[in-house]
Amino acid sequence: MLELPTVAIVDDDEAVREALGDLLMVSGLTCHTFAGAAAFLAAWTECHFDCLVTDIRMPGMTGIELVERLHDEGAKLPVIILSSVLDQQTRAHALSLGVHAWFTKPVSDEQLLGAITIAIENNSGPGG
Amino acid sequence: MTIVPGLQEHDDTGIAEFAAESVVILDRHGKVRYWNPAAERLFGWPALAARGTSITKFSSAPADEKRAWTQLLQEGSWQGRVGRCTPDGNIVFADVRRHQRYGAAGEHRDVIEFARPATDAGNPHAHGGAVPDGMMAASWRIDISPASATIAEIAERADVAGEDEMGRLHHHLVEIARIVEVNERTARLVGGNRGRALMTGQSVAAFWPVGSRGILAELILEALDDKNGGVCRRQLASDGILRDPVVSVWRAGSEQLGHLFIAVYGEADDDRSYPFLRASEARYRNLIDYMPIALWQVDASHMGKIYAGLKAQGIVDFERYLEQHPELAELAATSVPVTDVNRSAIELVGGAGVQDLIRPVGYLFAESPASLRRIMIGRFTGLKNHSEFMKLRTLDDRALDVRLSVTYPEPLLELDTTIFSLEDVTDRLRMEAQLRQLQADFSHAARVSMLGELASSIAHEVNQPLAAIVTNAETSLRWLARDTPDVGKVAQLTARIAANARRADDIVQRARDMAVKQAPEPVELAFNEIIQESLLFVRHEVETRSIRVTTSFARNLPPVIGDRIQLQQVIVNMLINAVQAVECGEENDRDIAIATGTDEKGNLLFTLRDRGPGIAADHVYHIFDSFFTTKPQGMGIGLAICQSIVVAHGGEVSASNRPGGGAEFRVVLPRAGGHAVVGRLTGNAPRSFVPHPPNAA
Repeated sequence: MLELPTVAIVDDDEAVREALGDLLMVSGLTCHTFAGAAAFLAAWTECHFDCLVTDIRMPGMTGIELVERLHDEGAKLPVIILSSVLDQQTRAHALSLGVHAWFTKPVSDEQLLGAITIAIENNSGPGG
Repeated sequence: MTIVPGLQEHDDTGIAEFAAESVVILDRHGKVRYWNPAAERLFGWPALAARGTSITKFSSAPADEKRAWTQLLQEGSWQGRVGRCTPDGNIVFADVRRHQRYGAAGEHRDVIEFARPATDAGNPHAHGGAVPDGMMAASWRIDISPASATIAEIAERADVAGEDEMGRLHHHLVEIARIVEVNERTARLVGGNRGRALMTGQSVAAFWPVGSRGILAELILEALDDKNGGVCRRQLASDGILRDPVVSVWRAGSEQLGHLFIAVYGEADDDRSYPFLRASEARYRNLIDYMPIALWQVDASHMGKIYAGLKAQGIVDFERYLEQHPELAELAATSVPVTDVNRSAIELVGGAGVQDLIRPVGYLFAESPASLRRIMIGRFTGLKNHSEFMKLRTLDDRALDVRLSVTYPEPLLELDTTIFSLEDVTDRLRMEAQLRQLQADFSHAARVSMLGELASSIAHEVNQPLAAIVTNAETSLRWLARDTPDVGKVAQLTARIAANARRADDIVQRARDMAVKQAPEPVELAFNEIIQESLLFVRHEVETRSIRVTTSFARNLPPVIGDRIQLQQVIVNMLINAVQAVECGEENDRDIAIATGTDEKGNLLFTLRDRGPGIAADHVYHIFDSFFTTKPQGMGIGLAICQSIVVAHGGEVSASNRPGGGAEFRVVLPRAGGHAVVGRLTGNAPRSFVPHPPNAA
């Protein structure tokens, strides 16, 4: 792999976006942050992302709606949900849609980075 | 049959009072015990003067009188003609019958004497029938011994003093002279409804018409000068009480130096008959006595004179003058007498009877001396009335909240009486405080329930900065763990941690303020800020539902007095309602518009409009009712509490449907300046000085 893996971060909260961005950067990942699902979808058509980390509760399109959209489109992009939503139904629904991991904020750096690493490795496996 | 002597005499005199014949009761030594009105008329001496005097003293032929008395004691009865000196030195002849009376044990009790004018003596008063009111003297017994210094001064200055000085001295003499006793007629004519007993010991001037005090003083001096103890008499001008009255003054006699008798003859200067007057007076007296309002009649006439003097000196700022001269308020407290009270007054202050309350007014103001000063200021500045709330310590040591109303005397009327009315509002204030407590409890409950609705939003809002803090901290550690730690980066991350911690703290603080139960604290508030803070509570609710909130804040809004948390509660509650109203609608219609401004009266106006379904027609009049709700989980207290909070702030809230669809809520709050709000919110009755209460009729 010549290029560093690129991670997309979608969260309406700027402080959270900044913090996650810095964490991924110090860990040797490239990352792009988006304030909402719509902005991410717009960029996705042009850029390649190896992993998506998204919040659930957001103005406009929610994280779940975004996951549903990606699922409907058959996208292979691994998704990690990082949210303060504790609702088990929503969680089960998300996992059924193929979401790779679900973390409740605040998450430890090791857990999050571990999950991102695994997601990227799995994704870049057989399919390439 | 057993006869109780006192009772027997009482019965006798009761009947004798109305007899046309002169009836006199004498003890066994010939001293006058009773002297009826007919005797007053026939012999010219008022009962006051005759009582206690030996009958021999009136006799024009004491030797004959002595013989007649001896015969009476020997035979049990005597009949004959007597001559008696009248106060003006004439002799009246009368045919009398005297009978000895005996007690149950056969002991000698008294002598009763019936007398008619001697028919052949040409007596000018010789006519039968009952004694008309006008023929009865209004009699007084006064004590001038306290005035000896003044009398001496008058004698000293007689030749040199000017008319003014002499006039002043004369008036002073009448003021110092004390009333020893008066008869019923005097009490009726000038005693107001104070009664005879209450006149005793008071200044003669307090009851003697102002216009003729000088003449009275002259008569007193003449009577004192008369070596023979003769009668000095003067015709007065009609004074509104009696028509052309004649005043007679004479010394009481050597055994009571300093005592004088005054008899005033004349018909009541009123076209109405005496029984009518008496009935009318009794009616009013009853009316006032039984009135449920506690009333005090106060005579502050001497204070009025002091005020006039101060004004003449050019004093304008009386409030300041009182501050510099606290002794003046003390003088009022100790020298302004209460002259009459009614039953409610006695009940209110817990006295045993009228006597407990008829004393200087100071006892009413022991607990709140400032009230007395304000009453004085009101009189000084010429107010018609004054009203305020004050604390009252009762005679049986209860602490009451009362509303005091003062009606000042009209300046041009001669009668200088001030009326205090006191209304016990202790229970009312206590009940109001309880209601306020209940309202506070309810609004707190509603607040907590509202926070419950916002709980997941608040948790989410707190969680965001916490998540950022954790991630930033861990990122910092990673930077520090490198071989060459990037201090600049770590510093940046640490600054972010601090900022996020502060943000989390703000949110928690805001929620905690809402949750805490505390007494409302009325302060001056910027209304726009309240709205902005309220919006923070629902920001997340609004954002996650894609609701557009547009705000239009008016500049230079007047401040509002109120409790920050309660007003926030109102706005947040309305915002939540609006969010719930629009969230089911089309995304394009999810609009909430908020505006602040002023209404036509300059009061604060807050409007909240939404594009929701509006209010159902039959709900419009009920949405502020308690327990009215259209929500399955709703308790229906939110808007009811909103209304009670707004009303407690002196404002009003209303709801209506907008022509284009959706609902509009309007909140009007009075601009700062109304003290009443403070009282309503905190439970303290306003203590402010209210110069012109609404007609205290």
